[in-house]
Amino acid sequence: MTDLRTRLVAHARTVLRIARWEVSRSAGTLDRRTAVIGLVAVLVAGGIAAGAAGGGVALDRDLYRVGIAGDSPYYDAVDQSSTLDPRPVSDPNVELVVSETHISVADTQTGRAAYSAFRDAVQSYNERQMAREENQSAAFPVVVDLQYRERAALVPAGSRVDGGAGGSGDAGTGGGGGTDAGTGSGTTDGDTAGDSAADGPDASDAAAADDGGVDAPSFGGMASLFGGDTSGSPASISPPFPFASLVLAFAFLVPMNFVIQAYGSSILNERINRRGELLLVAPISPGDIVAGKTLPYLLGTVAITIAIAAAVGGGVVSVAAVVPIGLLFLASTFVGAMFARSFKELTFVTVTVSVFLTTYTFVPAIFTNVTPIALISPLTLVVRDLAGESIPLGEFLFSVGPILLAAGVLFLLGVGVYREEDMFTQRPVPLKFLDALDSRISRARSVATLSALSIPFVFIAELLAIAVLFVLPVDLTVPMILLAVAVIEELAKSLHVLAAFEKARFSRTLRSSLVLGGLSGLGFFVGEKFTAIAQLAGLQSLTLGQTAFAPSGVGIGDGTGVSALVVLGLFLAPLALHAVTASVTAFGASRGRSAYGVALAGAIAIHLVYNLQVVSALG
Amino acid sequence: MITVENLRKTYGDFPAVVGSDFSVESGEVFGIVGPNGAGKTTTLKMLAGLVEPTGGSASVLGYDPEEPAMRRKLGFLPEESPLYEDMTARSYLRFFADLYDVPRDVADERTGAVLDRLDLEYRDRRLGDMSKGMKRKVAIARSLVNDPDLLIYDEPASGLDPLTTNVVLEFVRELRDEDKTVVFSAHNLFHVESICDRVVIMNRGEIIARGTVPEIRAEHGETTYRVFTTVPLPETLPADDEVGGEGEERHVAVVDEMAAVESLREAAEAAGGRVADIRTDEASLEDIFLRLAREAPTTSEAEGGRGRAAGGEGVAGEHGQRAPGGNGQS
Repeated sequence: MTDLRTRLVAHARTVLRIARWEVSRSAGTLDRRTAVIGLVAVLVAGGIAAGAAGGGVALDRDLYRVGIAGDSPYYDAVDQSSTLDPRPVSDPNVELVVSETHISVADTQTGRAAYSAFRDAVQSYNERQMAREENQSAAFPVVVDLQYRERAALVPAGSRVDGGAGGSGDAGTGGGGGTDAGTGSGTTDGDTAGDSAADGPDASDAAAADDGGVDAPSFGGMASLFGGDTSGSPASISPPFPFASLVLAFAFLVPMNFVIQAYGSSILNERINRRGELLLVAPISPGDIVAGKTLPYLLGTVAITIAIAAAVGGGVVSVAAVVPIGLLFLASTFVGAMFARSFKELTFVTVTVSVFLTTYTFVPAIFTNVTPIALISPLTLVVRDLAGESIPLGEFLFSVGPILLAAGVLFLLGVGVYREEDMFTQRPVPLKFLDALDSRISRARSVATLSALSIPFVFIAELLAIAVLFVLPVDLTVPMILLAVAVIEELAKSLHVLAAFEKARFSRTLRSSLVLGGLSGLGFFVGEKFTAIAQLAGLQSLTLGQTAFAPSGVGIGDGTGVSALVVLGLFLAPLALHAVTASVTAFGASRGRSAYGVALAGAIAIHLVYNLQVVSALG
Repeated sequence: MITVENLRKTYGDFPAVVGSDFSVESGEVFGIVGPNGAGKTTTLKMLAGLVEPTGGSASVLGYDPEEPAMRRKLGFLPEESPLYEDMTARSYLRFFADLYDVPRDVADERTGAVLDRLDLEYRDRRLGDMSKGMKRKVAIARSLVNDPDLLIYDEPASGLDPLTTNVVLEFVRELRDEDKTVVFSAHNLFHVESICDRVVIMNRGEIIARGTVPEIRAEHGETTYRVFTTVPLPETLPADDEVGGEGEERHVAVVDEMAAVESLREAAEAAGGRVADIRTDEASLEDIFLRLAREAPTTSEAEGGRGRAAGGEGVAGEHGQRAPGGNGQS
């Protein structure tokens, strides 16, 4: 125990020494141009944050004038909206007039936009009010009485028509047009969603005609989704767009793109002209070197994240959700810098990392209020944190866990090639990748371990596939996701086996192929079971989630009315699938790269057929 | 100090080192010589724990070369001096001293003494602003920052001007006097011959000769005799050397056996002349090396298809010398 403690202290000391050196050296190399770029990055992030925190970028402040009495139940909603400017009812220069029973709007594009902004303002106001309500059961559901009224001219000029009725005007129930929007967005039968944008003057009617108003006002659409109601793809719904929170959340990502530039350059610098060779011959481990070189950039990311969180009102959850993203940015950049042969290639790598991770984290967060799939991105947690929602631990782990695991595995792979023989040789990036995989294979069982470790990437890739294919109709989405799943999983099970054969780690025999294939399939099967964490977030309740994970054997059915033998069969069937397909690819890999390509195609075909069968069986 | 048995290293299909066996005693200067691609650098890097052997074994200072404990007692100088050019010499040496847990004052004193001996000033100058010779001196000082028992120097005088080369070689001699063990490689065989106690000659990954320089010379070298006569003989050519008495003609013949010298003597005397002088020429290490290299198997004869593999994946021969990048940034 003492020995372990001594060693840990020694490692920590070495890491800190290298980190200190990295900081002082980087500070010495920081030229004016880099400093200016860094400053611009901070200002951009700060500008976004400040703009969003101030209720938008201020271009729309007091954009629409609303004639409204001070004692109107809607007055506070209008007054608190940055877009709306409350004026006396007698003021003729208004776009909208709110009386006790009527909402009158000018029959112009501006008038309609003002009405739409009014609805949004009322909805937001209602949501804030409801969120403040301690007794949520008393707050939901709310029954709203709708009255359909004809429009009537209000202003003598004749340019105004009577807007759609906003409801009973009962402020206590949060009535009004705003309630309709919430309803339409959260239900699959909300045909009005698509129409509302296009119908122009009839928009209010369409919204008012929505028959699904039992849960209005919607709690940001989440109630229907997490409460077990049906949900659909964006093709059939209109998401309530948490613009302000999204912009604020995006501000967290901006500085990371600059941090990884500096970090990637520092790592590649160690490889240029064999500069890092002397560190390798010092009595320190490659892991210490990498940790020491990474620590300043990680701490910098944490500091920036805390500063942004403080600026935009994010809490501990925001910081805890963003830091793993930063770690994944660094881990991906580290591996990229270990593979890149030049600064030109490094630029390509960092841009790819930026685009991919920004997409992965930002796009799902757009659907924060729509679907639990959004939880694949920790940025969704930030959006929700900024909206004042609490985050259950299970959802937090679901969102952050794969990101942390993926970052850890990437660092593991990178450290594997942080050695003289790999650092200073010029090989194409794909071959370097195979080298990195091979560096973690010392015996047959390493193949199983690597297969299990690939799960975070498989998880991320499959969830990303879901997020990307989510916009398509479900009929088309399901088979495409099945294909994507087959491709991703077969690659994950076979690439390291190919690397091992390429490096002559094992004999190229049928027996070796079967052993390695079986171990790879077993490792993948075991690792795959950890994806059951997905159920914590209710992802399995979604058709798409079932599509992605049920074929793999996670959470197949509930066993009701099925014999134990069948359940066992269903449980073990994926193991057989993975072992068989991994053996096919392993055999191909043992015969060379071309044969591997053919075998991979075959394995994907087998996997796809299996998936389709499972989906059919599950109905 | 070092024991190497059947040490092998293969890059892909290319055998960079083929079954080396040798040992290095404590306190000696041990040279590894050979042409480019002979396997010298790979051998040194295996000893330093930088490169993992494909087969065989090596014991360095009683440790497996990859054990960190061994590196605490090792000073390694690669062929190039890849320094962190944005650091000053002083901060660079202090950083490495820190990694070896050497207190700063001890490190300053130790490296300062080395730099004094190597005649390096401007220790607060950025390394990027230093000449190649100055950088080499800093690199040598770094290799001694931990007061190592064993020094592994790869081409320590490579690319240096004659003056700096002499300073470096003289310094290596002094290290031997301080009871340090030095293993180093060189292209320039004169350097090896002048300072090494024992030598191995490598070619195409194999050791083709070993021993002290006199032993190698005795085993592989040819001693030739230049015989000067005062009369022309069928075997002789006119000589310009000042040999023998004033006004005498001078003719010379080069033979490699004493019996031939005797024959010339008899022939000269029969012709009314005499042998004015006999000079012995011993083969240099370079002569021996060139001859052995010529006699070594050609590419097609060598085992394992070395030449075929050399064009493979870019790791052959000078594998260790390549740097990533290539766009001029550093």
